[in-house]
Amino acid sequence: MSLKDLISPFYVWQRAFEKPYTQKRPIEDRPGAPRYRGFHMNSEDCIGCGTCETICQNHAIDMVPVEGLEQRSGDSGLRPRFDYGRCCWCALCVDICTTRSLRMSNHYAWITEDPDAFHFTAGTDAMPWNQNSLGYRRDDDYHLLVHERIDMQALGAEESVAGFDEVMKGYTEEQAVLEADRCVECGICVATCPAHMAIPDYIRAVRQRDYEAGLRLLYETNPFSSTCGRICTHRCETVCVMGYQGDPIAIRWLKRAIVDRVPAERYREILGDEVVENGRKVGVIGAGPGGMSAAYYLRRQGYAVTVYESQARAGGMLRYGVPSYRLPDDQLDKDLEYIRSLGVEVKFNTHIGRDVPFRQLIEDYDALFLAVGLNQPSALRIQGEEHPRVLSGLQVLDDVASGRDPGVGSKVAVIGGGNVAMDAARVSRRLGADVTVLYRRRIEDMPADPEEIHESQAEGCKLVQQAIPVEIKNAASTSQVTIVWGEAEMIADDKGGRPRPVLQEDRMHEETYDCIIAAIGQGGQLDFIPAEYRDRIEFKWNKFVPGEYQQTGLPKLFVGGDIANSRADAISAIEDGHHAARGIHRFLTGTLDG
Amino acid sequence: MANPIELLQRFGKNFAISEIHEQKADLTFFKVPKEQAVRLLRELRDDAGYTHLAFLTNIDWIEKGIFTLTYMLHNYDARHSLGMHVDLERDNAEMQSIHGLWAQAATYQRELREMYGIRFPGSPRLDEDFCLEGWDQIPPMRKEFDTAAFSLERFYSREGRGTEDPREHMKGLLYPTHTDEPSSGGQ
Repeated sequence: MSLKDLISPFYVWQRAFEKPYTQKRPIEDRPGAPRYRGFHMNSEDCIGCGTCETICQNHAIDMVPVEGLEQRSGDSGLRPRFDYGRCCWCALCVDICTTRSLRMSNHYAWITEDPDAFHFTAGTDAMPWNQNSLGYRRDDDYHLLVHERIDMQALGAEESVAGFDEVMKGYTEEQAVLEADRCVECGICVATCPAHMAIPDYIRAVRQRDYEAGLRLLYETNPFSSTCGRICTHRCETVCVMGYQGDPIAIRWLKRAIVDRVPAERYREILGDEVVENGRKVGVIGAGPGGMSAAYYLRRQGYAVTVYESQARAGGMLRYGVPSYRLPDDQLDKDLEYIRSLGVEVKFNTHIGRDVPFRQLIEDYDALFLAVGLNQPSALRIQGEEHPRVLSGLQVLDDVASGRDPGVGSKVAVIGGGNVAMDAARVSRRLGADVTVLYRRRIEDMPADPEEIHESQAEGCKLVQQAIPVEIKNAASTSQVTIVWGEAEMIADDKGGRPRPVLQEDRMHEETYDCIIAAIGQGGQLDFIPAEYRDRIEFKWNKFVPGEYQQTGLPKLFVGGDIANSRADAISAIEDGHHAARGIHRFLTGTLDG
Repeated sequence: MANPIELLQRFGKNFAISEIHEQKADLTFFKVPKEQAVRLLRELRDDAGYTHLAFLTNIDWIEKGIFTLTYMLHNYDARHSLGMHVDLERDNAEMQSIHGLWAQAATYQRELREMYGIRFPGSPRLDEDFCLEGWDQIPPMRKEFDTAAFSLERFYSREGRGTEDPREHMKGLLYPTHTDEPSSGGQ
């Protein structure tokens, strides 16, 4: 052993008083690179879809309720909580985030003695990096999701206005699979769908080309799937998470993609046709979507169901209010015929109150479901509206649906901005008329579906916004009519409501048309219910206010559809019918009182 | 030095070079068939100044059924890097070893054997564990390896974990009665 070997251990002591190379943490901070993948941040744009949780390969993310955050349509109220014992900082959660709310800060060093502190809800728990402006976020040109909707073949405006052929042609199988492939299956849409359809599940069935499974899923909540696959108001698509960065999934068209691929003859084999009679009978008033939906679900449970319909055909507003270029008759019949094939009896041309007294129904049946809809056109409430050349939008649509000529002439004004107004305008275009639509608010305020507004314009209907009808007068010819209307200014509402149109009396117009079609809304007609019963039922503005399970103050009477809800669309009526069927079953099996 | 594109075009007379792509001023990628790869690496090292093997890695294209090996070379004089892509069949993937060209390649090849299951016959210590001691699963960087399932099965969860499905959560709070009871049939 040399002297050096003996002394060398003591050399290290010479450094004992030098400044150490070790960095003092956490006192001295060393910031991460601008795009460093550090602790997660989440903005208030998050809607709790859980796609980050789904893609996480390490099971590091849980979706948890956050105190003070309410779930609502389009937001689950859940937020991602990260377990940093599992996170590997791969950032797939950031890359996939549907709303781009999830990011990473460039904060990478955090020291605490409590290991459980590394388990928190990003964005809502107070963390020191929540306000960081740096850190990783997805590049604009890098996408894990497909943002563009697969287009559907449609008739051109010129072709479509030439007749009553269906405008939208439906997806091919390949198109449907590609569109279905865009869905992240978060299920946020299910709460918004009035019927709470199993949307992600049936989209998966499309992706797997399993149309039988798809049809069974559709019928769990909606026996009008061919119809709704075409004309549903698709509230689901308004909350679809894919809509945040691109186009929402074409949920409505994918529903249609299933029913278009299953022929009507196969429905009973796929859905099962065994009905075990339970010996009880239920009456239904109105063979529209609400009444027939209730009939379907009641029949499935073994009830003998009789439907009373005042018209000659079933379908209600779907038959008489929706033109065939949007919903061909044979498609509506496909839905209706299947329901009837299960043994649901429909008595046509039967008016309750005139042909059969209401009292008799309420006494004869174990329970009654009423969904008579809104079929009385609302009055314009202006001078001269009883002029014979003022037609109602509903009447025009009814005439066309029934094969009669509504006689609109060649120059038509339509008053209103809802779907009935748009349909009346488009029908008039198809009958060869020059069409002007007068609407009192702005086009963006129109309650009609955006597609309908867009297509009516493409087909040559002229939309005049902020136009208030003032008076209707006789024209020089008795086959014509003159309308006086004034321009409106939109005035902000002090109380926070939507802007109000105010007539500008110095800007009045006068124009003569072959007819004026009034389509500003509909009301109900309930005179057939005797006063002794009416007194026990709650109404508001001539509509029913149903209780739990659509039941009324008359325990045997359940109600639904446009006459009993504010949404007044087919899918809401369908759910009312389904929900009333649940209620009637509970009522008659003793788990729901009167 | 000639510019990299011209260089690759010159080598292209003897090698089937394709997919030349200038990623940025100091980095160019290209592809060459498996059989020509090692001969080309030697020429790039000895005749074109790409003396340094910066790394060797792999990309798994499971849908296409191929692996793409990436050899990253650097030329210190030109301050330029070349990324050479080589496609292999994904099943029973095997590649000629380059530990004779760069000794440190043996370590990368050992790692690729462990992470993807690629064989490099003759490479030193190829079958020794690299960083996965006692690994008993399929190689973990292969895309068919289910990381989440493995992690759930192998490790216990931190206390206090628990998740909610958005759809079921919303159903329970927003429309609890709008759901069918199990059918009671014809009672």
